[in-house]
Amino acid sequence: MLQAYAYITKMRILTNLAYRFEVFASIGSNLILLVASVFLWKAAYGGGVVRSGGIGLQDIVTYTIVSVLLASIFVCGVQDTIYYKIREGQIVTDLYRPIPLLAGYLADDLGSMASALVNKAIPLIVFASLFFGFPLPHSVSGLLLFIPSCMFSYAILWLLSALVGLVAFWVMELGNMGSVKDAIVRVLSGSLVPLWFFPEGVQTVSKYLPFQYTYQTPIGIYIGAAGTSEALQAMAVQGLWIGILFAAVVLFWKKTKTKTLIQGG
Amino acid sequence: MLQTLRHYGSVAVCFARLAIQRQLEYPLFLVSWFLMIPIQYFSGIWMLKILVDRFQPLNGWDFPELAFVYGLGLISHGIMVVLFINTWHIDNMVINGQFDRLLLRPMNVFFQLVSSYFNFIGLIDLIPGTVVFLYGCHLVGFEWTFANMIKLILVLIGGVLIRASLFIALGTIAFRTKKNASMVGFALSLLERATMYPLSIYPYVIQVLFTFVIPIGFISFYPAVGFLGKSSGFQIPFDLALWTPAVGIVCFLLSQQLFKSGLKHYESSGS
Repeated sequence: MLQAYAYITKMRILTNLAYRFEVFASIGSNLILLVASVFLWKAAYGGGVVRSGGIGLQDIVTYTIVSVLLASIFVCGVQDTIYYKIREGQIVTDLYRPIPLLAGYLADDLGSMASALVNKAIPLIVFASLFFGFPLPHSVSGLLLFIPSCMFSYAILWLLSALVGLVAFWVMELGNMGSVKDAIVRVLSGSLVPLWFFPEGVQTVSKYLPFQYTYQTPIGIYIGAAGTSEALQAMAVQGLWIGILFAAVVLFWKKTKTKTLIQGG
Repeated sequence: MLQTLRHYGSVAVCFARLAIQRQLEYPLFLVSWFLMIPIQYFSGIWMLKILVDRFQPLNGWDFPELAFVYGLGLISHGIMVVLFINTWHIDNMVINGQFDRLLLRPMNVFFQLVSSYFNFIGLIDLIPGTVVFLYGCHLVGFEWTFANMIKLILVLIGGVLIRASLFIALGTIAFRTKKNASMVGFALSLLERATMYPLSIYPYVIQVLFTFVIPIGFISFYPAVGFLGKSSGFQIPFDLALWTPAVGIVCFLLSQQLFKSGLKHYESSGS
């Protein structure tokens, strides 16, 4: 059974590694985002004189670099895959397959993630180190907690993506709602500006939403904005969200399966 | 001459009507765009507000001025997306042979390329653009005099032409390579980051690059410098707001030359 998933993952890695030109462009776009954000922060800090809540300029530069890196690795193609396959009617062949639909798509995304680690993350790290210095973690324990926290983050992001993807089964006329979700995640995850700079009210509400546990939690651990006990607490919340979202996806998928409508042929 | 113009006009109107009808066939399809684009751009300006509130004005640009630049950049982006979006898809048209059809008709190829798709959906980009810009104007106390309004219109025309020229130049690459979609995405993110923040926050090299080599600083930054009486990294003579249309026209003429010479080397993909 696992062999089937491993095969999907392997094929995805091989396919993605074959398209070089697309990769260059994606690295280019990420670099622009990185450079622009870093200089925006430099202007905001005004030469490193201003400190806000103990977070210095170097910390925030590291934050930005790690955030862009994570964004290039965290591939959640599932929402687009479902959306396009439903529009084109290809979803039917995937439903025929003797493995659960969503698990197959997860294997596919994991393959994309593995290839992105090689051909997107490494060039980005090299570039970022050359221009802004290597983004060192605050401490060893920070680094050790960062890695599992990232995995939790990816789980949350992927489940959110799958949940939005399933919406396409019900209302395929609404266009790709995944892009709407992405726009919200970009802001509320703290991937561009950490939430601790946001107004109090937004911070309070955000604590009860899953978004800040996707980017801000692991990167905050990495740069040492959260101590060990805070980090463990945040990871527990991450775990809780994974549980809630997993249950939601399972329930929603059960309902959705009976509702599937195949378009065209 | 007049008759040719009238002919081209009627074709453009006819194309536009078809395009709008096609896009409105499934009106609900627009819902996701209607949600996504405003969220994306309003949150972008909100981030700037948070930065300025928490820290300090960015290189001397306070929030009202930042909103002015951001809005100006976004409006010219919106107009470009409405009128010239087909320049993004030249590679696709070359590959699936649609481009060959344009060559067979007795009309200017570039005109056909651009007019055959009036991107109604792009108007959605203009909503956040206009709102942020008017808000910025209100905050900085922009004087709506006749002269300023004329200048503003010229700046917008110039900005749209600079943007379009860039995509036309990229599109001509597709005549040779048959593939440039990823470069379009790259150029889009470049334009977004370079036109929606003041250019002066970037290092000197980048400022030189975006002023003299790829003059995208003239889309929103230099006109804003002119309107708001700010100082920029370079001493540029004359009224800055008038440079934009001039640069725009020069860029556009250059891109037309590129397009024409690209067409000479064009070989059909054979499909």
